[in-house]
Amino acid sequence: MSSHYEAPIREPLVIGDKTYHDISVEIAAPVLGKANKSWWIVFSIALVAFLWGIGCIVYTVSTGIGVWGLNKTIGWAWDITNFVWWVGIGHAGTLISAVLLLFRQKWRMAVNRSAEAMTIFAVFQAGLFPIIHMGRPWLAYWVLPIPNQFGSLWVNFNSPLLWDVFAISTYLSVSLVFWWTGLLPDFAMIRDKTTSPFQKKMYGILSFGWSGRVKDWQRFEEVSLVLAGLATPLVLSVHTIVSFDFATSVVPGWHSTIFPPYFVAGAIFSGFAMVQTLLIIMRKVSNLEDYITVLHIEYMNKVILLTGGIVSVAYITEYFIGWYSGSSYENYTYLSFGAATGPYWWAFWALITCNFIVPLTLWVKSLRRNIVWTFFVALIINIGMWFERFDIIVIDLSKGRTPSSWAMFSPTFVDIGVFIGTIGFFFVLFLLYARTFPVIAQAEVKTILKSSGEMYKRLRAEHGDDFNHAHGHVHVDNDPSAGEPAANEPDRDYLSGTSNEEEVDQSAQDALIDTELKRDMVDAMLARIGTFDPAVQTADKLQKLTDVGPLMEQKLHQLGVYTYNQISNMSLQDYEVLNTIIDSFGDRARRDDWATQAANLKNN
Amino acid sequence: MSSNKKYWKSVEELKENSSIVETLQQKEFAEEIPTDEFLGDKESLSNSSTTRRDFLKYVGFSTAAASLAACEGPVIKSIPYVVQPERIVPGIANYYASTIADGFDFASVLVKTREGRPIKIENNSLAKVKAGAGARVNASVLSLYDSKRVKRPMIDGQNVSWEEFDSKVSKGLESVTGEVVLLTQTFASPSTSKVIKEFSGKFGNARHVVYDTISEDAALDAFEGKYGQRALPNYDFSKAEVIVSVGADILGDWQGGGYDVGYAKSRIPKNGKMSRHIQFEANMTNSGAKADKRVPVKPSEQKAVLSALYSYIVGGSSNSKLSSKVDDAVVKAANQLRKSGSGAVVVSGIPDVDAQNLVLSINEALGSKVMDFANPRMTRQGNNKAVQQLVADMKSGKVGAILVAGVNPAYSLPNADEFVEAMKKVDFSLAFSMKEDETAKLCKYLAATPHYLEAWGDVQFTKEDFALVQPTIRPLFDTRQIQDSLLKWAGNDTSYYNFLKETWSSITWNDALHDGVFKATSPVEIGSDAAVAGAGTAATSSLDANASAGRLAKSEDSKGAMELVLYTKVSLGDGQQANNPWLQEMPDPITRTTWDNYLTMSRVDAEELGVENTTVSDGALNGSYVNLKVGDKVVKNVPVIIQPGQARGAVGLALGYGKKEGMQDEMKVGVNAFPLYQDFKSFQNVTIEKAGGMHEFACVQLQNTLAGRDDIIKETTLREFNTEEKEHWNKMPEVSYNHEEVPTNSDKADIWTSFDRTLGHHFNLSIDLNACTGCGACVIACHSENNVPVVGKEEVRKFRDMHWLRIDRYYSAEDTFKEEQEALENLAAFDTYSAVETASDENPEVAFQPVMCQHCNHAPCETVCPVAATSHGRQGQNQMIYNRCVGTRYCANNCPYKVRRFNWFNYAKNDEFDYHMNNDLGRMVLNPDVVVRSRGVMEKCSMCIQKTQKTILDAKRDGREVEDGEFHTACSAACDKGAMVFGDINNKESEIVKMKEDERMYHLLESLGTQPNVMYQVKVRNTNEV
Repeated sequence: MSSHYEAPIREPLVIGDKTYHDISVEIAAPVLGKANKSWWIVFSIALVAFLWGIGCIVYTVSTGIGVWGLNKTIGWAWDITNFVWWVGIGHAGTLISAVLLLFRQKWRMAVNRSAEAMTIFAVFQAGLFPIIHMGRPWLAYWVLPIPNQFGSLWVNFNSPLLWDVFAISTYLSVSLVFWWTGLLPDFAMIRDKTTSPFQKKMYGILSFGWSGRVKDWQRFEEVSLVLAGLATPLVLSVHTIVSFDFATSVVPGWHSTIFPPYFVAGAIFSGFAMVQTLLIIMRKVSNLEDYITVLHIEYMNKVILLTGGIVSVAYITEYFIGWYSGSSYENYTYLSFGAATGPYWWAFWALITCNFIVPLTLWVKSLRRNIVWTFFVALIINIGMWFERFDIIVIDLSKGRTPSSWAMFSPTFVDIGVFIGTIGFFFVLFLLYARTFPVIAQAEVKTILKSSGEMYKRLRAEHGDDFNHAHGHVHVDNDPSAGEPAANEPDRDYLSGTSNEEEVDQSAQDALIDTELKRDMVDAMLARIGTFDPAVQTADKLQKLTDVGPLMEQKLHQLGVYTYNQISNMSLQDYEVLNTIIDSFGDRARRDDWATQAANLKNN
Repeated sequence: MSSNKKYWKSVEELKENSSIVETLQQKEFAEEIPTDEFLGDKESLSNSSTTRRDFLKYVGFSTAAASLAACEGPVIKSIPYVVQPERIVPGIANYYASTIADGFDFASVLVKTREGRPIKIENNSLAKVKAGAGARVNASVLSLYDSKRVKRPMIDGQNVSWEEFDSKVSKGLESVTGEVVLLTQTFASPSTSKVIKEFSGKFGNARHVVYDTISEDAALDAFEGKYGQRALPNYDFSKAEVIVSVGADILGDWQGGGYDVGYAKSRIPKNGKMSRHIQFEANMTNSGAKADKRVPVKPSEQKAVLSALYSYIVGGSSNSKLSSKVDDAVVKAANQLRKSGSGAVVVSGIPDVDAQNLVLSINEALGSKVMDFANPRMTRQGNNKAVQQLVADMKSGKVGAILVAGVNPAYSLPNADEFVEAMKKVDFSLAFSMKEDETAKLCKYLAATPHYLEAWGDVQFTKEDFALVQPTIRPLFDTRQIQDSLLKWAGNDTSYYNFLKETWSSITWNDALHDGVFKATSPVEIGSDAAVAGAGTAATSSLDANASAGRLAKSEDSKGAMELVLYTKVSLGDGQQANNPWLQEMPDPITRTTWDNYLTMSRVDAEELGVENTTVSDGALNGSYVNLKVGDKVVKNVPVIIQPGQARGAVGLALGYGKKEGMQDEMKVGVNAFPLYQDFKSFQNVTIEKAGGMHEFACVQLQNTLAGRDDIIKETTLREFNTEEKEHWNKMPEVSYNHEEVPTNSDKADIWTSFDRTLGHHFNLSIDLNACTGCGACVIACHSENNVPVVGKEEVRKFRDMHWLRIDRYYSAEDTFKEEQEALENLAAFDTYSAVETASDENPEVAFQPVMCQHCNHAPCETVCPVAATSHGRQGQNQMIYNRCVGTRYCANNCPYKVRRFNWFNYAKNDEFDYHMNNDLGRMVLNPDVVVRSRGVMEKCSMCIQKTQKTILDAKRDGREVEDGEFHTACSAACDKGAMVFGDINNKESEIVKMKEDERMYHLLESLGTQPNVMYQVKVRNTNEV
């Protein structure tokens, strides 16, 4: 279990006086409640855009790719631009959930769920383009290495497009599994909370019968870790392989060895920008400002700064190397003087402005923590990253090796319609998700509530680290893990999904000192052995004493016993007090002679 | 058939009056069906397992199944021959030698037929005399299947039978008051002349007027004046050492065309020698593009140039008022001509008898062995004065009947409106035509004529070279050729075929028919009825060359007006085949523009007029409109293309466009320039004013320079070629290997283990940039052989042309490509962009480069296809497997040569693309050996694998080895210049191996290491000046 201790200098990750119960309620609210008007408006717009996109796709497939603006020179334009753009957007999710998990970044917990959802929905959109951009999409299954009986022949393993097939499908499936795994306890929470039988049934199925037993949690943690380990290389591999589509070709501007790392950085850059865009809206709409705080936004802005920096260095490198090569074939690549002054100058400068100049403002802390500005920058980056791919594909193709074939591209309404359609589709999925899924990984957020929750931080600041929150005037949930394993509680019916969570909470918060008599006894004992002042003293490791485990140590702490000094002062009388108050204490203190041991430890 | 047998169903029937039998006769079932009982009993119903849902399922299923069963696949009827013709074997092509003679193009051809259908025109290698442009002749097979052809004779627009037609025409002709006139193209056919004489004899007073749409009157008059015969001198440029052309597009349609073959031969450096070509011209033509030195001069100056040239050579005094630069060029040209003597030749396209007279005199003075006046060309017979006289006579009502054949005066006469008016005064009008064109529409009678591939005939190319025309298919429609008709109306019942054989009874008919060509002397004098036409005035004009020179030098200049040069394009020529989509979509070799004619103008003049060329968002070109005025004739809304190298003060416009009748809507493009063709002169003074609006062009290439990339077209000078090492002018690019420079073709630069390619055949194609004149015959041949679709103007404008073979044309950014490279080295880096991107306006050098799939041994396209739809063949081809293609277009993106073409739509059987592949007639031209690609697949040059495989199989069947020269691609076979050589490099004796080992050999973009199977030969320019 993560430690409750977190440096006070760190800002809280959960703000407001949140209890465990509050978290459950607030996360479940959008799912259990009714959609408001603005949701319906946005959903309708997204749905119309989606349907329009479907219309455009049907038109394309039934008539021919000629309804797009492509030509003999520019064989890819918006289709693959959109593909790479969506794949890139899909990158933040896995990075947040996998890489940050391995790096134990707690702030990821508020954003990972939506980021992963975004990943999956973005990969859906991305996956659409390689299929519909085919001249004969009904034969798309030929790119799969399936046996001959299916009318296919064997595939060409040399082709980066085939690598894409594997990379994207692997990425999608791992992301999906990872996402779902994280969702299990949260689905179970909603299952347990809802009163609608339909929802109960659906979430019961979705949660795969999650019971909340320790074994469940243990496996959950293990699987999360394993999947994180599996997903981490994917963060690097997917866009690396997408970049191979270009890097392994012979097209000037595409054929570039720095593409893999540069594409990965760019993908994370754009992915985080998209996460910002979505979450800044969602925290407002779904009242999640307490969970997705300015701190989260700042953290993400820092990632954007880092990856944006990498991307900018890559731009400069590309420009320099293109020029330095002295090859006339490099004169018109997407980062070159030729592009900056050529017919696509506007696309070039859109890229530089959006991806290079505007993100630099995030070096200013006040702007980094300014939500409106962040939102603006994120939008700009999304646009800029679209232009990056457009520039790479269209500018490089438009001025290829044989000048006789130089041409330009202009999109048709179908090109635009398909793109808008995918945006619509993405938002349809995301909005449905926001209404049906727990949008924040509440189970995980609960684990950091005590270490990073604002209220607990305040309490710690006021009362010190070892303040027993049970003494406080506010009602505070005890750490659930301090209680008995939930599965061991006899009156709990998991199959019906009902729980008596409130009771569990209460039983867990039972103080050791339940009567005035006991209180007096403890006070008297502390008067004899001395009190502990967290302001000047530090707690000793009581577990070094024979037979003292974590549980016993905690109980001693609850009674105000923290130091070897106190123990060494203990006499038989005090042992009796402990025996009275702590069940199953027995006479182990006398037997093991804690006082002597403590005296020795104290002096070492 | 009725049977008396009786079958007993049961023994009951044996009994009489059996109640059971009776009951059974009445009822179907012996017992009552307990329907009511069953359906009435709710309990049993509810117990039965067939629920209402099941019932609905069954109903649904059976309805669906029934409707599915009602669907039927399309039934394609193919009916086998009832009696198999002896010579037609399905799958085997038959070849026939024939000749095209449409009045503009004259050429010996070999016609390939499959299952009785002509599908392709090839060169007749037996023909020594060639004339006519390759592209149009190659495309003429498609005109056979033109859906706009007239299908049967018509009177007043109504279909009639030939019997009715004949009787009405005969009656009409007999009752004519006034002259009977035959207005025809140049047939150059002895037999036709005989037929016309016979016809003329019958109608005593018949006059024969020959009209060449594109006039060569000046040259004909000059020749007639000098040598007494109405003919054109023949030139053999293969013998030339120095060629000076003053306004003659010798590689185009000048004087009947077809001179490019000999020209190309003299341009290939042999033993350190090649010809030197100096061109004075106004428009940028193919000839100017190929010239070693091109001097842009406007038409009025051209006359001065020619007269100065005459003076310098013949030694007369010269008071040339030419600018010093031009004069210097003339002096140098004259020196070179003099030095070369008999190897020198001067030609001119100036439409002036004096000019043509000077040319003849200069060449005589030089003793040129290039010009042949003893065996002149007979393929132009037109007489403008006779034509103008005819129009005048028609107007005055002297003409009672006019029969028009092979020409379309109502469209192509400069005074077409006068002709149209005059036609109203002619009682009897008849057109022999394949189309309901402008003239046919004016005529009462329309005699439907067959295409030349359906007809018989003979052609006199030169004084002693003859050719035969033979049908290669039964007439598709109810047509009859003009000779048959005239014979019939003249009362001669012999068929023209027999008539023809009679004419040529002196030769071995079958041999001549087999060869297509033969040598003989003409049994009759061909040509127009000069006496009646009042021609021969040329003969009376002074033949004194000095006087000619004087007149020419004094000829007034344009007085400040712009000078217009009318020309014909290699694609459309005089416009006869304007309804041929192959030709419409063929890019102009110079402007690379399709589906249009336009005014070419120099940038300086354009800026003065405020005329501009702009590109739109997808890079396509737009140009301003201008109105042209010559005399009182105005042609409105002519789009302008700014043409590098166009002489200042001169503009160019192609004839043959803007036809409106007998044309499919899609093909009605361009403007009709014939009204400007005053006095049948291609030089005119013109007033230009800007008009509103912008025209949308469909160009296939808009980047005109090489952008500083010197390894795409490699070129050198003859001096360097002769004196320097190969490394100097044809250096193999190098790459770094372990910090050491190694040539690209070394093993170290290759990470792949190569296959053993020495077994079997391995095909290579060599393209000689020196010999290629950019004529485009290969482009059309490729279209024809490989069923390449036509996509139309809009699609070409979107850069979606489907040409498997294109001829790139590059201009130098500086005055020469060499200077361009020097500028590149000296300029500051950022200045080089603007310097090398735009072509030099003044007078750029030009280079042509045919590019098709390079069939790389290390093909970038092959590795990237996810489904392996493009892969390498055992014989070196990069193959495209259409069936397997899913259409990712990755291969096209990764192709450095940009030769792959994607089927954006279905181009066959699609009303959106209403060209030949959208009708049954047009589809007859499709080559059955090559599949028609569906939409969504990539296609490209296959190196004509169907042809090479056929050659291999033929040899195998005969049990012999394939000989060198047997292998051909459509393009290499179409290239009579020898610019394309195709063959098997595993045959060490072959021509292609010599080309491969030639010092001039290089590969396109060699530094990429793609190891193409197509190679190029370095272009050598003869810049040696004396």
